[in-house]
Amino acid sequence: MSERAQLLLPIADDELVLGWRNSEWTGIAPFLEEDVAFSSIVQNEIGHARALYQLVADELGTTADALAFDRSPDEYQCSRFVELRLVPDWARTIARHWLYEEADEKRLEALKASDDPEVAGLAAKIDREEAYHRMHAQMWNERLAEEPRYLEALEELRPLVDGRGDHTREFAALWEEMTMVRRSVAGATW
Amino acid sequence: MTEQEFLEYVQSGGQVETDDWMPDDYRAKLVKFIEMHGNSELMGVLPEREWILRAPTLQRKLALTAKVQDEVGHAQLIYRVVEDLGKPREQCLEDLISGKSKFHNVFHYPTETWGDVGVIAWLVDAAAIISQKALLKCSYAPYARIMKKICWEESFHILHGRDVILTMMNGADEQRELVQEALNRWWAPLMQFHGNPISPADDPMFQWRIKSQGNEEARQQFLDGYVPQIWELGLIVPDPKLGKNDEGVWEYTEPDWAELKHVVTGHGPQTAERLELRKTTRAETEWVRRTVLAEAA
Repeated sequence: MSERAQLLLPIADDELVLGWRNSEWTGIAPFLEEDVAFSSIVQNEIGHARALYQLVADELGTTADALAFDRSPDEYQCSRFVELRLVPDWARTIARHWLYEEADEKRLEALKASDDPEVAGLAAKIDREEAYHRMHAQMWNERLAEEPRYLEALEELRPLVDGRGDHTREFAALWEEMTMVRRSVAGATW
Repeated sequence: MTEQEFLEYVQSGGQVETDDWMPDDYRAKLVKFIEMHGNSELMGVLPEREWILRAPTLQRKLALTAKVQDEVGHAQLIYRVVEDLGKPREQCLEDLISGKSKFHNVFHYPTETWGDVGVIAWLVDAAAIISQKALLKCSYAPYARIMKKICWEESFHILHGRDVILTMMNGADEQRELVQEALNRWWAPLMQFHGNPISPADDPMFQWRIKSQGNEEARQQFLDGYVPQIWELGLIVPDPKLGKNDEGVWEYTEPDWAELKHVVTGHGPQTAERLELRKTTRAETEWVRRTVLAEAA
């Protein structure tokens, strides 16, 4: 696998899995307004994953969907941090949202400076949308700034941000669920 | 204006704004009707939300997430209309959870397979848009106005649903079976969707011109628009009596009106479970609303 694929796959996997996790709030967020906001964030995250997979897929002669769905669980390179199932804990959800956006901003800065024009261009495009996610995370970080359960969640999750390698047990269950329809009829178009 | 004059006014096409005088009975009927619509949008999220995780391609995941997002957005808009009529959103949500207020029959049923996801987006949304288009002429103007945006968005859901179904019908035998089985499950609730064939003259919602069409008229429109498409895809409608008579009127097996009543009064196969999910997640996020409201105060 090329250096580019090795660089982009973990990021795509992070966006995909976090998008999946955040979509678990759909329909049950604390406010209708937040339900709508989280749905937008999910759509952006899945869109970013798709664009990143596409760059890799072109190189590997496969498709974005195949990369997103048809690998075995141990081939995914997302961090354990995005795998955690946090619903219905809003404090930990916002803590992860805030910590992820913080780390993602630095990662995107580095990608934007890449010598590879396709990678730099895509990173710039993604960053324009992430700017809104950061504003959203910032707003909630301020709202919950004095809430003890939020501060505890930040402490708990901060060390996990870039924990890669083994997967959590929750990831196996997520993978089962997100691929179940696709696996149900071999080789089918959906 | 007397109540009689008001009635004549709305029956001749007149529209009412929030601050206009209106009879108490009209206001009560409006709140009940519009609140049920808001509840239905919100409860309509639940049959689909579990399938967001299982969507089989990135494109389907995006489309389904966007569809559900639209529905939550509709609930938000609709509850605002109810709020202006005097009932706050929080009260609507409480009454929904406690079972005091109702929501549409179709959202009381389980979503068994990805075939159901397609049938819901295509046919349930098609049935819904027929009712909603008739609300564009609602005598209560603020409700009629938001219906423009809602109908526009719903029409995309139908396209998404039709695409899900078409893809499966052009796929493997197992996929076609999923669609046929889903249609078999959803046909009865779909036929009940527009309500019993009460004459418009006896329907208070029509008399106040909250609705602008009768129940049977809506059902005929649904059958006319969609049965030919269902047949064209090679699907079988599970009603041997279904057909158009010489006068161009659809005939069908009498829907089970007792089932409809039983379901919408809170006894559908998924009613308890879905309301329980709303109740527990609402309790679990109560502290968030308290924190935010305390800051706003």
